Formats: sequence, C-alpha cells, structure tokens
Amino acid sequence: MTATTTNRIQKRMLVRERLTLRRLTVTLVALLVILLLFAIIALTVGSERIGLDVILKIIAPRLTGGTENIPAEQVSIIADIRLPRVLMAVVVGAALSVAGAAFQALLRNPLADPGILGISAGSALGAIAATIFTESIPVSRPLAAFISAVITMAIVYAIGQGRRGASTDRLILAGVIVNAFLSSGVIYLVTASGSRQRSVFSWLIGDLGGEPGLLPIVAALIAFGIFIIFINARSLNLLMTGEQEALALGVEVKRVQISVYVAASLITGAAVAVGGAIGFVGLIIPHAVRLAGGSDNRLVIPGSALGGAAFLLFADTLARTVIAPRELHIGVITALIGAPAFVYLLRRTS
Amino acid sequence: MLEVREIRFGYAEPVLRGVSFDVSNKEMLVVLGPNGSGKSTLLKIIVRVLQPESGRVMLDGRDLSEMPRRQTARLIGYVAQDATTRFPLTVMEYVLQGRFAQGRLIGFESEEDLREATRAMEMTETSEFSSRFVGELSGGERQRVMLARALASRPRLLVLDEPVANLDISHQVKMLDLVKQLTQAADISAIVVTHELNLAAEFASRIMLMKSGELLALGQPREVLTENRLRALYGTELLVDENPVSGAPRITICKSREP
Repeated sequence: MTATTTNRIQKRMLVRERLTLRRLTVTLVALLVILLLFAIIALTVGSERIGLDVILKIIAPRLTGGTENIPAEQVSIIADIRLPRVLMAVVVGAALSVAGAAFQALLRNPLADPGILGISAGSALGAIAATIFTESIPVSRPLAAFISAVITMAIVYAIGQGRRGASTDRLILAGVIVNAFLSSGVIYLVTASGSRQRSVFSWLIGDLGGEPGLLPIVAALIAFGIFIIFINARSLNLLMTGEQEALALGVEVKRVQISVYVAASLITGAAVAVGGAIGFVGLIIPHAVRLAGGSDNRLVIPGSALGGAAFLLFADTLARTVIAPRELHIGVITALIGAPAFVYLLRRTS
Repeated sequence: MLEVREIRFGYAEPVLRGVSFDVSNKEMLVVLGPNGSGKSTLLKIIVRVLQPESGRVMLDGRDLSEMPRRQTARLIGYVAQDATTRFPLTVMEYVLQGRFAQGRLIGFESEEDLREATRAMEMTETSEFSSRFVGELSGGERQRVMLARALASRPRLLVLDEPVANLDISHQVKMLDLVKQLTQAADISAIVVTHELNLAAEFASRIMLMKSGELLALGQPREVLTENRLRALYGTELLVDENPVSGAPRITICKSREP
C-alpha cells in the first residue's frame, strides 16, 4: 500500500505532467548558462585569443578597474568587432527561433518556419530592393524587410485560404511556392545589382558582422516582438490544438492570430535585415526545446529565444573559426545542421 | 435553459434554414440526421465557433452573442469531432486548456484550475494517463480526455459532436452513459450529435431529427423514431420495433433487395 503510494509519487515527480514554474525556471536558467558559455567562447576565440579577465575589463571598465594596461588593439577587437557580433547573433538567433515557434503554433504544424513559409525570402527581397534603390535612407533596410515580411505573410495566407478557411497543410504548401518565387526575385536582384553584387550576396546568406550600427534598433524591435508573442503564449497553446476548439474555449482567435502574425513577421524582418536569410534556426530550436521541456508555449517561446541565441552564436563562432582567416557564411552552418534535422522531424511527425 | 431561435446559416447554399428549439435543465437532447443535414453547423453556432446570419441563441435568458467569448466558454463545454495535434501535449495539459476561460491570460494555472482538471479527469476515468501524450491515446481514451477538457470549466451545457464515432460498442455505451449520468447528477444539459440511431433511442431524453437544414421532428424517442419517417429521411429500408429489454424503439437495417 505505502509502497505503491511512494511509487506513484516518485512516478509523478519523474514524469512531466504539465509546465510548472519550477520547470520553467530550471530550463531557462540552464539555457542562459549555455548562452553565457557560448558568448565567452565567442569573445575569446578569433584571430587573436583574448583572455576572459581582459574581456571583462573591456566590457565593464568601471567595475573592473579600467583598460589602461590593455593594448588598444585588443580593446578595439572586443568592443568594436566581437561584442557587437555576439550581440547580433544573440538577437537574430532569438528572433528567428521565436518566429519559428510562433508560426508553428499558429499553423499547428511543427514544420513551419520563417524560411519555409517564404517570410525570410520576402524580407530579403524587400531588404535588397531597399539597399539597391534607397541606399541613402538610414533605416530603410530594416523597414523594408519588415514591411515585406508582413506582405509576404498576407500573400501566403491568401493563397493558403481554402473554401473552409486556411488549412495548415495548404499554408505550408503556399509558403513553399511563395518562397520559390521570391527566391528567384532575390537572385534576380542580386545578379542585377552590379558592383555591389558581392556584398549583397554575402549579406543574403548570412553575415552577422556587417552592420553593427543597426544593432540598437533591431534589438529593440525584436525584444518588443518577442514580448508580444510571449504574452499570447497561453492562447497559442489552445490554438495549437485547433482554431475552432480554441474559439469554443474562449480564445479571441482573430486578435491573437493577427498580433502574433504581425509580431512574428516583425522580428523575422528585423533579423533578416541585419543577418540575411539564415535558414533552419526557427525549425530546429523550438523543436529541441519541446523535446526537452514539453509543448507549453510559456516555455517554448522564452526557451527558443535563449536556445536560438545560443545556437546562432555557436554557429557564428564556427563560421568564423573553422577555415580562419577566411570566414564561412553562417547560413551554410545552420543549413548543414538544419536540413538533416528537418528530415528527422518530417519522419517523426508524419 | 437553452433557447435556439430561428437560426439561419449558409456558405454558398443555405445550411440551416431557420432552426428553433429549446433544451431544458438536466436534459440530454440527441440530434440525428443524414450527412450534410446541418447538425455539426448547428452545434458550432451554439458554441460560437460560427456566427449565424440571423437568429439567436440564449442560455439561461442571456443572449450568447452579447457576452464576452470567455464567458460563453465558461458556460458551454464543447467536444469537436476529432482532436488531433501534431505537438507532444500531455493529457493534463490538454484538460487544463478547459480552464483557459477561468484563468488569467498570462501566468500559471491556479490551485483551483488543477483541482477542477483533476476532478474532470476522475469523472471521465482518465486520471491514470494524465502524463501521457494525447497523440498516443487510443480512440476511446482520447474521446474521454476530450470530454474531460469540456468538463473542466464546470459548464452548464455540454455540446458533443459525434462523441461515439470510432468507438467500439462497449466504449460507445460507457461514453453515453457517462453523459447521461452527468446530466442527472449535476445541473448540466447536453446536446449530442450522433449517427447511432439505437444508442440515441436508448439514451436520449428527447431526439431531434434534422433534414437539409431544417428541423424535421423533435420529441420523445418513441414519437420521433417512427418507421416511415426514418425510411423517408435516410432513403433506406429499415424496421422499427421495440427493444425487448428497455422498451425503447429499436431500429433494424434491412438490406435492400436490388435485382
């Protein structure tokens, strides 16, 4: 009798039944530790190895006693090159994976992702057009990337709309087609961009070191977008099991859908504007978080933000070290890891 | 308790052409009719998944369309035709969704939410698999879990769309027996759509027959389920006599003898 009771209690503790505050905290803290670890590695390695003590002095001079004894060159490497790049990887990684988690919940399909749906290609097209035609306007690229992300989502939704509403499989197919079409547009513009072809191309497949000046505005937009998606997490949990059932359970479905679509497009656009169309992050990270901690979006969304940041930071560090002094494009790394992960996902979910 | 008045609805063609009926307290109303007669659409209008072109649905004297959606969700528990999710969702998480309208929009479930979810799972005998994934359950288990989610908000009205489709006869009887018991024990009424004529005859307080978006008949099983009416409605040869055990109408399908 007591044996079975303790047995049951033990089982209940081991088995995860639902998301608790404790599990949320433990998972997020673990992810944060991983992220910090990766950030330290990313700051340390490169053309010149710089020790952690030196890095701390440069990042927080007031706390650690100033940078008098440190060569100006090292200060510049950390403050002007590595740190902005680390922060860029963090915000772009967080944005892409939260956007993936949001689209997956909205479309009730774990295979959705800003890349597969064509949103990234749409943003890229807008961003490239802005780069070529309105170069003189400072924030035109992120703005164009965001606007074209929202328009692309609307187009995908319109094509995916069947007679009885938009079915999730139709939406994915619509995304694949829109993606193919817009990608050709992107290639056309890159080819036609003449003298700037090289820089546009290198941005397109992922370059986080390109424009540190945009970091503050991009980070602010992404933080805002993630916040909007996060406050809708409970509603998204219900939407994941069906639109009609969510309505019957009291979710204001239209309002949630519109705000999350717009927010997810916003952060995709912001991420693409600075990092280019980096694929697969939005696909594999939310899935990994779900495997580790369950499907509750109150965990999946912040967990994807931290996990995506860590993953992209890891990929970027690899990209700039494996064939140093030359750099790989980060999109190459994420695709090399992401495409097999997609195949694995496809086989698991169907 | 529930008053449905002159509901009209259509896509290109009209699906519901002015349907009116009442459901009283502790009643189990079973809706029968051929495919495409508008049964599911009617249920979706009652739970406010669809908006009617015209007509009203009133619950305890209050017009549903005038109250916030969350309030409707607290009053009505809905079980849709089938729940499939591609995400690994545990039974506990699924049943707790039924508490969405009671809880805060942001934050965690309260002690009361957990209590009510546990109670709903005990009523439907689903407690033992609370940590299993919904996608791994058998058809009968999943139906019960869906019912548990609908019960978690302690609704006044249960709206069930084909709750016994895909179940074997033992689970069919258990499921309808449970719904019947619920309506007897608590202040709950139920509207159940099904294609199982004999089960309807056995369990329904009243039966409503629908034909191409209109109400064909409404009343006691004995009054509604007559041989000529069913034959004409379904276009199938059949025989109606009396169940020797319960005395309810018993429908026997007669294979049509085509040349």
